[in-house]
Amino acid sequence: MMKKKLAALGLALMLTVSLAACGGGSSAPASSAAPAAPAASEPAGGGEVKGLEGPIAESPILLTSVGQSADVEMVKVMMDKGGLSPETNSLATEADLGDSKTLVLAIGGSSKGLGAAGIDANQELDRVNKLIAAADEKGLTIIALHIGGEARRGDLSDKFVAPSFEKADYAIVVADGNKDGLMSDLASKAGIPMDEVATMADVVEPLKAAFK
Amino acid sequence: MNKQIITASVCLLAALSVAGITGKNFMEVKKPDELRPGPGVTQTKMLSDYFPDIAGTNADSTVYVMEGEQPGGKMLVLGGTHANEPSGYLAAITFVESGKVEQGTVFVIPRTCNSGFTHNDPQEGSPQYYTIQTKGGPRQFRYGSRAANPLDQWPDPDVYVHAASGQRLSGSETRNINRTYPGRPDGTLTEKASYAVRQLIDTEGVNLTFDLHEASPEYPVINATVAHETAMSIASNGMFELQMAGIAMSLEPSPTNLHGLTHRELGDYTDTLPLLMETANASQGRLRGKTNADLVLTGKDKCYVKAQKLGFLYVPYDETGHPIEERVGRHLQGIYEYSKAYSAQYPESPIVYNGLPSYQELFLDADPSELGGTQLGKYLN
Repeated sequence: MMKKKLAALGLALMLTVSLAACGGGSSAPASSAAPAAPAASEPAGGGEVKGLEGPIAESPILLTSVGQSADVEMVKVMMDKGGLSPETNSLATEADLGDSKTLVLAIGGSSKGLGAAGIDANQELDRVNKLIAAADEKGLTIIALHIGGEARRGDLSDKFVAPSFEKADYAIVVADGNKDGLMSDLASKAGIPMDEVATMADVVEPLKAAFK
Repeated sequence: MNKQIITASVCLLAALSVAGITGKNFMEVKKPDELRPGPGVTQTKMLSDYFPDIAGTNADSTVYVMEGEQPGGKMLVLGGTHANEPSGYLAAITFVESGKVEQGTVFVIPRTCNSGFTHNDPQEGSPQYYTIQTKGGPRQFRYGSRAANPLDQWPDPDVYVHAASGQRLSGSETRNINRTYPGRPDGTLTEKASYAVRQLIDTEGVNLTFDLHEASPEYPVINATVAHETAMSIASNGMFELQMAGIAMSLEPSPTNLHGLTHRELGDYTDTLPLLMETANASQGRLRGKTNADLVLTGKDKCYVKAQKLGFLYVPYDETGHPIEERVGRHLQGIYEYSKAYSAQYPESPIVYNGLPSYQELFLDADPSELGGTQLGKYLN
């Protein structure tokens, strides 16, 4: 009798455990998909990054996305409000540089945006690398903007940050996106001025000041 | 023998009692919450007025019409697309109870997926109701499910094929109204409901549509606005104003290859400019702790505070949580800024309204002890 009771109890426990296991579902988030946790606030390279001291850029301006996030639309609004009217092409190639004197890069990856554009991250990187190389060769001033803060960091967005900084002449970043010092480090390595602002709304002033 | 009859009778009575209590509760959850429209509501319609096929079913839902004294543009606010995302539902109700339209016409559907409010999700431990102290006393609001009630639409297929695109999704998505747009007149009940929304937009000539949502804190698209390409200019201009007001929100383009959602299909199949907004709701997340009405209203959850420290989340999270005032305030301020941007771009058909609290009034200026329902209740009748 006791054996039967123990067996019944054991079976009940197994049933409880199996039911609990069903509850978790497959939708638990993978930690790898989450944004990178802040590691440090100092530039990893230890170099000093200065802000921009005087205007360096001129119109006409070509504005493009690096990562296909809608941040490019936000940058356009900021530039329009600042009286700088850029030509905007989220998928610009070297053929679109025309007589532009400044190339503005709105950095931020978006899987929704890449999907909307019908391309993947590697195709986007390829386009951007060619565009930046052509702009650099033609002597355009290149300004890199990372305005999306923490929301535009993580595996996808981070792929687009370094290529944008490599040949840039100036960068403006929202502080939340630079908590780990990634962008300060890249600016330091590239030897370019960089201004860090508190919020997206604060980008307009330094951006305006960058233009002659 | 006598003993067996007594035992059987006791068991039968107990079973009948349980059946009676649960049956009563089962029927009660089908009753819609009592809404108390304010003077801004000029007419009340039903979704079935636009597609009579859904009359008398749980897909039918009340449409509140708020017409201004001056002509202008037309705006639709969809709350309760997902009945387990309370800020969208409560923002729509706040609009109906406190808003007053000056120019143009605003249509508000607080329970877009009405069927989703008649049940909640098994194994989630969700509360059936949450209570808010309002000007007129304590009021109960339903906490429902992301999907329509299987009693209204059953069985689910193994694979749900979106009719207009051929997109294949898991079978349960067949009851998710935000995967069924643009809907079908001869489809499932949920497809008929989304078809009715589309008919409303076409019939009334709705210019601007908002679909109000929430997301779990570990979901990447959160504190965000998703815009169809036709609405991107309005969205980016409105977003700039939100940023200036100190409201951190990201802007996402509507993917062209993700079908059935308002921000994609209403833009593709109608002339409206669709925008979808998301706020942070711990009570629907997978990392949450104790799930109850308090969590729904305050968002306070020590598990999410820990998850934030581990870098798992896409929104800041501390001991103050994300109270309902913050979440409803984001939706209301978003609607305000985007409709203002719409009016600036389309000055021939402006949409102007007043009476609703700003994000500042509803959340930032609130006494912290009144967050979690009491402050919002001041704007409910």
